[in-house]
Amino acid sequence: MSERERVGLGRKLAAMWRLGFAEATAYRASLLVWVLTTSMPLISLVLWRSLAEDGPIGDYDQRGFDSYFVAAFLVRQLGSSWVVWDLDRQIRTGDLSTLLLRPIHPIYHHAILNLSALPLRTLLAAPVGLAVLIATRGITLAEDLVLLALAIPAIMHAWLLNFLTQLAIGCLAFWLTSASALYNVWLGAYIVLAGYLVPTSLFPGGLAELVRVLPFHAALGFPVELLVGRLSPAEAAAGFGLQAAWLAVMGALAAVAWRRGLRAYGAFGA
Amino acid sequence: MPDRPAISLDRLSKRFRVSKREPGLRATLRALFRREWVEVEAVRELSFAIEAGERVGFLGPNGAGKTTTLKMLAGLLYPSAGKAEVLGFEPAARRPEFLSRIALVMGQKRQLSWDLPALDTFELNRVIFEVPRADYRRRLDPMIEMLAIGEIVRKPVRTLSLGERMKCELVAALLHGPEILFLDEPTIGMDVSMQLAIREFIRDYHREHNATLILTSHYMEDVAALCDRILVIDEGRLRFDGSIGELVRRIRPLRRVAVRIGAGLDPTARAELEQLGALVAGEPPRLALDVAPERVPDAVGRLLALPDASDLEVHDAPLEEVMRELFARRGAGEDA
Repeated sequence: MSERERVGLGRKLAAMWRLGFAEATAYRASLLVWVLTTSMPLISLVLWRSLAEDGPIGDYDQRGFDSYFVAAFLVRQLGSSWVVWDLDRQIRTGDLSTLLLRPIHPIYHHAILNLSALPLRTLLAAPVGLAVLIATRGITLAEDLVLLALAIPAIMHAWLLNFLTQLAIGCLAFWLTSASALYNVWLGAYIVLAGYLVPTSLFPGGLAELVRVLPFHAALGFPVELLVGRLSPAEAAAGFGLQAAWLAVMGALAAVAWRRGLRAYGAFGA
Repeated sequence: MPDRPAISLDRLSKRFRVSKREPGLRATLRALFRREWVEVEAVRELSFAIEAGERVGFLGPNGAGKTTTLKMLAGLLYPSAGKAEVLGFEPAARRPEFLSRIALVMGQKRQLSWDLPALDTFELNRVIFEVPRADYRRRLDPMIEMLAIGEIVRKPVRTLSLGERMKCELVAALLHGPEILFLDEPTIGMDVSMQLAIREFIRDYHREHNATLILTSHYMEDVAALCDRILVIDEGRLRFDGSIGELVRRIRPLRRVAVRIGAGLDPTARAELEQLGALVAGEPPRLALDVAPERVPDAVGRLLALPDASDLEVHDAPLEEVMRELFARRGAGEDA
């Protein structure tokens, strides 16, 4: 890509961001509902901290649970994507045609649309997070500043992993009647295995090791543990390696599904 | 590339695999385990060429393959066989250089962002299609003025009427100055005055940009007003390629001679007229006779000689009737 093309692409993405942000503002009420439906970690927080009243569970005491689940809530907000629902609908109704007629890849549209809602989403989630922080009297973050800073790329990778997974599953709508129903199965596994309800390190021995190499953990548990200082530099490096591997797998699956899917696209209803 | 056609199709075909099942619970349960598929041949070996600047109307009954052809030409659908070339590009490759030079407007689809004013989408298209700001203003202002949508473009799209929305859709599709304009039922569901406004707008755009225009419409007036060449497609095949006049003369070679009359015909006059041609209306206030072209002078003389005859008209059969007749012949396997 030449310098001129890069500048052009940047300008186009910025314009899409502005439109996405304006749309997110128009849909602020439904965004708030989304924030609330993804506040499960805060419910887990209440449950686990009362269970830990008499002493730590595994290596988590009450403050440990507070920190973990507040961080999980934050990572869940920042790592959110909903491209699977958009894509599923657009393929079935033929609305995808509009995006295919633009001289820019439709995936940019979806990525920017999801990302541009994040600032507003964070703003809407902030009061909830703040209330929890006050109630729990603060949380503990990683003391090693380098590891703490590395949580930022880890969260970005988590977002990208969620996005690519949803993209790969959403592309199945080129062949199936409802791909989003299939994603709900994935989401069920995510809720149990990502460290969303229970930190994965509390899983029984053997199972914990297995769960921690799955893409679900890479998309939530890993950045959360990095943020709250539960990982050594070696463990952090391994976590980034797993994230990279899953990104490559999901990216390849999404690319193949997209390319083949377009050949099967019927542009019905359009 | 002055000698290359703007659009060319060589045995272009499209087959769809569609699932099929009977209504009812039992059929639903059966479909869960064994789904039946049928292959639909939407477009069959279509070949034709369109020169730059032509205005072409696609006609055909529902399901004839008109929209599928347009979608293949705009790059939305991959052909199952054959080849299409538009402005020297293979449409399905959807190269940005190709997409920047075409537009597809679908009467039943929207590109405008539903909850935002149309101006927001215009601005997005300006950047995405890399339209210089000066060109953007130069194009947008006259379009807004001509369609009288100065206020409308500032309201959220969901609050607009169908006609207002289509006007905005057209502006959004034309801001980048496409050389080829595919229009799929652009006036569907609109009242007559809105249809007229949109028709005029499209004609103006063509005049100003010498754009190539391909239109499908159920409203024959749209086609008659906008297109000088007609392609009739039925069951995915090309059935006719020529001007409206040629189509009408081939399908309905008779011309219609009509007058306004004050009183009913007596049996002798009726018999005389029926010798000249087919009497399609014989009661006051209108009398109409379909006659062979060489008999028009005779018919005109006879009709004007009737007492109280006035308002003489001579014309071809209406396009609507011609199309009805053309597709009625389909069962007999007769070609146009």
